[in-house]
Amino acid sequence: MGDFFMSLVERTDQARRDFETHPVALGAVAHGLSVERYRRLLLELHQIVWHFNPICAAAASRMPDSHRELRYFLYRHMAEESGHEQWVENDLEAIGVSELRVRAYRPLVDTLALIGYNHWSADRRNPCSVLGMMYVLEVIASVYGGAFATAVSESLFLVGDRGVSFIGSHATLDAEHMAELRKILGTIEDVEAHDAIVESALVNFEFVTRIFAAI
Amino acid sequence: MNVPDPRSGLPGLLARPYRFLRLEWTSDLALLRVRTCVTPIQCFSLAGIAEMQRVLDDISLNPGLVRHLVVSSDVTGVFNFGGDLSLFSLLVRAQDAESLRLYGRKCIDMVWWLETAAQRGVHTTVLVQGDTLGGGLESVMPFHKVIFERSAQAGFPEVLFNLFPGMGAWHYTIRKAGFAVANDMILSGKLYTAEQLYRRSLVDLVVDDGRGEAALDHVIRSIDPRLRGTLVALQGQRLAAPITYESLAATVDLWAQAALSLTTRDLRLMERLARAQVRKAGGADEGALHEIKRIELDTAWGEERTGITEWTALS
Repeated sequence: MGDFFMSLVERTDQARRDFETHPVALGAVAHGLSVERYRRLLLELHQIVWHFNPICAAAASRMPDSHRELRYFLYRHMAEESGHEQWVENDLEAIGVSELRVRAYRPLVDTLALIGYNHWSADRRNPCSVLGMMYVLEVIASVYGGAFATAVSESLFLVGDRGVSFIGSHATLDAEHMAELRKILGTIEDVEAHDAIVESALVNFEFVTRIFAAI
Repeated sequence: MNVPDPRSGLPGLLARPYRFLRLEWTSDLALLRVRTCVTPIQCFSLAGIAEMQRVLDDISLNPGLVRHLVVSSDVTGVFNFGGDLSLFSLLVRAQDAESLRLYGRKCIDMVWWLETAAQRGVHTTVLVQGDTLGGGLESVMPFHKVIFERSAQAGFPEVLFNLFPGMGAWHYTIRKAGFAVANDMILSGKLYTAEQLYRRSLVDLVVDDGRGEAALDHVIRSIDPRLRGTLVALQGQRLAAPITYESLAATVDLWAQAALSLTTRDLRLMERLARAQVRKAGGADEGALHEIKRIELDTAWGEERTGITEWTALS
């Protein structure tokens, strides 16, 4: 079907559906989360956001000259995402989690595995795999983030974007990123890179689902 | 794993592994029953479409094997919610018209198979025992016989988020009920009861809840002795009021183009509908869930009142 973006969507669609239809994700989008579970989710998310740019940097450093535009794309993305972990910290503070607790937090094994895979894949295997990670994070943020932020806000009686600023704003930001990502994916022609991106997306969907299940 | 040869007749057709479908065979009627189960949100996911198309292709590869195709849902209270709204949302945000078009084409390929089923010697019947929305209702309309249980509701809500049903709704509503009804249904976004759909000639038979299976059996057994004549007559019916693949495809193209211009507000409305689907799929009583949430919130506030001070940001 179509270009590589549609192929990526198709080859990873069941993994996306498995995330979307996991009972915890279903419940979170439909009814929000209890404050304790939302705290745990943001603490895990904080780890993912904090490691996003180092993973992108590892990928950019190994990106072959033939993928010059891709390297620039990663630079731009890193610049945009820089400091966003602070947004998560602000949301955590709004729901009663101190900076001290954030710093001392030990992530779930699933989160460590997700970050570890993304580092290893970008640094030791195919650097294009980083696009699989970006695809998953942007799908989750743009497609589910808005509904999730609304559900959490309603269930915890939060006012405005207080406590949900990271998720809520990324639902909008990542909507634009998605169109950019599709364009850049369309420039990649080698099959090995395609396979690496698909594998990465499958692993990321799997572990994000596990993180949701574990909180 | 051994993949069965789809041309090897019944064993090949039934032996395929399916994740979202359950197939049953009734030999005296040569009846293939397909029960759909895209849990927990029954909709036209890419994988669900692929499985259904595989069944239809297998039937085509074995001419004369299947005389009756019957489709129903295994999900209580839901026949089909229609398109995969999350997938639409993803593709719209990616501004990917081509992929939207390809998704639409996959849908109308199933519609077209049903439209031409009589030429393949297959009579088609659908039993709707729960809600069916948008693409779910479109998927019902090309069947030769449409049976609804009384509590089932249906409609085309797409206009509520500035879209329209693009996979055959106009064609089949106009053919079966006329322009006025099509305009009313598609442009209003309203939901209709089984009885209201029957009065508009979009449903052939309405039966009380729980009586669908018996009605199905009665309908099939009354058609089977005069099947050849019925199928020829149905081919003639379709010649009298033709629907072409080209026209369906052109509508899909228009739909895909329209989807690209959806605004953030439209997408949010679509997401609200998706959330409602999720709640319905959950099957739980909303009131009780709200109560549980209140209790959880009370507990959370209680913790803070008893000395944990990080909560100050909410004060």
